[in-house]
Amino acid sequence: MVESKQQWKAWLYLSPAIALLLVFTVWPIVNTVRMALLEDYSIAAASGGDRVFSLGIGNFVKVAQYQNFLTCLKNTALLCVATVPISTLLALLVAVALNSIKPLRKTLQTIFFLPYVTNSIAIGMVFAAMFNIVGSVGTRRPNIVTLGIINNVIEFFGGHYVNWINTGSSYWANMIVLIIYIVWNALPFKILILLGGLQSINKQYYEAAKVDSTPRWRVLWRITVPLLSPMIAYVVITGFIGGFKEYTSIVGIFGESLGPAHAPGRLNTMVGFIYEALEQYHQGRASAAALILFAIILVVTLINLQVSKKRVHY
Amino acid sequence: MKKLVSILLVLVLALALTPAMAEGPAYDGSEVTITFYNTMGTNLTPVLEKYIASFQELYPNIKVNYTSVGSYDDVRDQIATEITVNGQPNIAYCYPDHVALYNLFKAVRTLDDFIDSTAEVTRADGTTEIMGLTAEQKADFIEGYYNEGLQFGDGKMYTMPFSKSTEVLYYNKTFFDENGLQVPTTWDEMDEVARKIIEIDPDSTPIGYDSESNWFITMTEQLKSDYTVAEDPYFLFNNETNRDFVKRFREWYQDGLLITYKLNGGYTSGRFVADSKKIYMTIGSSAGASHQTPAAKDGVAPFEVGITTIPQADPSNPRVISQGPSVCIFKKANAQEEAASWLFVKYLTTSVEFQAEFSIASGYVPVIKSVIDNPIYAEHLANAGGYGEHTTALSAKICLEQVDAYYTSPAFNGSSTARDQVGELLAKCFSIPDSEDVDAKILEYFEAAVKECVYSR
Amino acid sequence: MSQQTLKVMQSRDLKRTTSKQNIGHTLGTVGIYAFLLFMALVVLFPFYWMVISSLKSLAEYRMSKPTFWPQTLLLSNYRDAFTTANLGRLFLNTAYVGIVSTLLSLFITIITAFAFARLDFKGKDLLFAALLGTMMIPGELFTITNYITVNSFGWTHTFTALIVPFLVSVFYIYLLRQNFLQIPNELYLAAKVDGTSDWKYLWKVMVPLALPTLISITILKMMGAWNSYIWPRLVANDDMHRLVTNGLRNAFKDTSGEVNYPVQMAAVALVSAPLFMVFIFLRKYIMAGVSRSGIKG
Repeated sequence: MVESKQQWKAWLYLSPAIALLLVFTVWPIVNTVRMALLEDYSIAAASGGDRVFSLGIGNFVKVAQYQNFLTCLKNTALLCVATVPISTLLALLVAVALNSIKPLRKTLQTIFFLPYVTNSIAIGMVFAAMFNIVGSVGTRRPNIVTLGIINNVIEFFGGHYVNWINTGSSYWANMIVLIIYIVWNALPFKILILLGGLQSINKQYYEAAKVDSTPRWRVLWRITVPLLSPMIAYVVITGFIGGFKEYTSIVGIFGESLGPAHAPGRLNTMVGFIYEALEQYHQGRASAAALILFAIILVVTLINLQVSKKRVHY
Repeated sequence: MKKLVSILLVLVLALALTPAMAEGPAYDGSEVTITFYNTMGTNLTPVLEKYIASFQELYPNIKVNYTSVGSYDDVRDQIATEITVNGQPNIAYCYPDHVALYNLFKAVRTLDDFIDSTAEVTRADGTTEIMGLTAEQKADFIEGYYNEGLQFGDGKMYTMPFSKSTEVLYYNKTFFDENGLQVPTTWDEMDEVARKIIEIDPDSTPIGYDSESNWFITMTEQLKSDYTVAEDPYFLFNNETNRDFVKRFREWYQDGLLITYKLNGGYTSGRFVADSKKIYMTIGSSAGASHQTPAAKDGVAPFEVGITTIPQADPSNPRVISQGPSVCIFKKANAQEEAASWLFVKYLTTSVEFQAEFSIASGYVPVIKSVIDNPIYAEHLANAGGYGEHTTALSAKICLEQVDAYYTSPAFNGSSTARDQVGELLAKCFSIPDSEDVDAKILEYFEAAVKECVYSR
Repeated sequence: MSQQTLKVMQSRDLKRTTSKQNIGHTLGTVGIYAFLLFMALVVLFPFYWMVISSLKSLAEYRMSKPTFWPQTLLLSNYRDAFTTANLGRLFLNTAYVGIVSTLLSLFITIITAFAFARLDFKGKDLLFAALLGTMMIPGELFTITNYITVNSFGWTHTFTALIVPFLVSVFYIYLLRQNFLQIPNELYLAAKVDGTSDWKYLWKVMVPLALPTLISITILKMMGAWNSYIWPRLVANDDMHRLVTNGLRNAFKDTSGEVNYPVQMAAVALVSAPLFMVFIFLRKYIMAGVSRSGIKG
């Protein structure tokens, strides 16, 4: 039996949170759907006062037909597909390796966590500097001041320098830099989760393997990975969700032009697309794009869950 | 019946008010506070404050506040958000594209009725002035600047010019003299001299251009080709003439003759005044002369700066961009605020003393012709030279010499995207490598740019 | 596999262990260390490069053969960075937003979690499930409308716009509620018998017991303020209210001439330093918080 006094008290305690959630969480969800379904909705035209917006799916059509929409979608998907497996695999190897040693483990664990406590824009600028060529490249008369440390290392090992991010650089060179940076950035969280998972695995499984003198890689694939599969599923799913929202890493490396000087916007992503629409006062299109992104994330997550249902051993 | 009466009443009222409406409301001396958003730095705000004070001696009931908002884009963004909640300022620094954005909100007060008003206003010292501009005042404005206010497609006046600048060619005069080089007046001559320079100093990039967008638009004016129009289909810049000049300048870039702001990753002035990897000619804002002047080392300037007009395609039809801030007045519920704002704008733009003092402090040029006869300003111009602080006057002088060459391009919903797109186009097309089909790529980029403009509307 | 069989297998195998296998094992361990040290190097290198670049002169930075230790340590880059990016102001703004939003957010999180953990009311489970449901929706969906809302409240270019929309975090509420639920019922009943009010019990008993979780929340929230970029850029991108990430990107956007990379790197190092400090002293709480959160800052 619930006393009515406690009822009142509970709602009193809850009221600040509920009030804020209504304004900043519930209303946005409703309003996003509303704006997306009003043709050409723009707050500029709306406050100009002489526009009546008819209902329709025009915003979705405009967004889908826009020449750069596919670019954004492709970049986003590509970054996800490339970075999630690479970072998960690397994180798994690091976590397993860390779990199998005693000396230095704490120190190394701390080092591997460092990228987490950094500002992704700030360290993006460091990566950009490492890959950046000062001077001009990509013309008949290259005029190079310094190649940047990564190219220096490549040349030290006898390779030819690569135009990574400067004017004239190729799309794939840009992508590789982004993938390296995003993987670097994604490692700490994954290592932390996987290591936590490893430490909770019953030691007896390993002792059995030790007794059988099973090779390490076999232990990894036959015992560790299956036992760790819930954790792996977790980092893969969160990795995909995070990957679909990639934006600040790109700003960190390329600045707000989201691409090298000769191809601005080439590396734009879905989130970048939404903000661009917002800044151009196309709130209807921004909302439509946000809903599309939501739908994609939802579908990808559902697929992930479906796959992990079959593969994950609980 | 009731409805009919009220409609009649409204009609009668409207008729009664019509003459006054056409004239624009006159300021009646009531107490109002007006705000003015600008981008003035600490070097300019004292000048503004001085003239606000003298304006308030004439109109003690008009309180003028000002805010330095940051960059031009910051002003635009802040106002665009404030308009949605009716919190916009009374007066603001603006560029035509900003006004096109504000027009989406229908927030800008057109000025024609104020300009034409002959209503008399009494000032605190007992003298009177008319609300509008006198014939002399109107004729005193440099025509190209004044007409900028009319470029919004409906023939109405939306902005008043405040202080202006243009693009000029800065060159390393010492280097040119030492090597017997001719300062170019046409693009052909520039081509020639740039190729000579790169022979002399292979480590240099002879030409720098600070604004890709300006370059593109200016070329369309010089070549009399199409850029944009204020009505459907709006974006006409994808044509053969334009693609040809882009292709030509791509050759320059590929041959190492040229660098632009985007491709350089920063203003080219840095390399114009640098000791190595130099740029010998750079086209930039006439208001930026101080950045184009090298700092003296041990009391000796490294080189003399020469300033001249930008190269032309057809010297008999010179064309050069007009830039720098105008001011616009925003609609307000209180008509007296609008009237007071107009009086203040009129005061600043027609005051010879303010225009002279502000121009000297800012490096911009005045918008009225009579400033040239102002003794202080005349002295400033007389000091023009190629070293140190004298370059500011030199660039102003060059700027004033070409008042007949100014053009304006239409401003409408989408014009700022067009401006951005043609700038990006130059950088994109310049860096097409020789290994690709250059003509096809250029055409592809032009088409994509037009699509982008259409989408932005 | 039962304990019994395991033990049997173990003893049988111990006998078979040969020295050959021992060598193999040692080699494996060396391999593991080599891999870990290499990865550690990869992780640390950007930080190393940031620090040494920030100490170089521009001329040294531009040398075609890079130096791995600055020839002359140029500490003045840090001073230049501080003034170029106006870091003092940015730090103050960020600290203010971080502290105020953390305090308010903690308060709201505590009372909400308390209501869900300790008080009974109609529709409690339904409401809680609905709250958890909102965690599924990407933040970008909220940004658009919140931007409009904040504008219409007249909050643009205020700290309020940076603080209020993010005060409630369903995740933190969830985290703390779980923690509160672990506190034994007996304590609550005993307090009731003593006539302690709910309010007093919450602050005197529950909050101290949940301190580790609260510290984790505090740090994550502060990190959030320090790293946020998109929202502050939309609503408060003016000199008075700009936050550190945004200011950093801005300061090196419009440059006259070439970017002075050493100064830029010095600015990046200065911006990164506070988080590193916090991390070094409060490593345990951060890692505990993060492993339960699955969110980045």
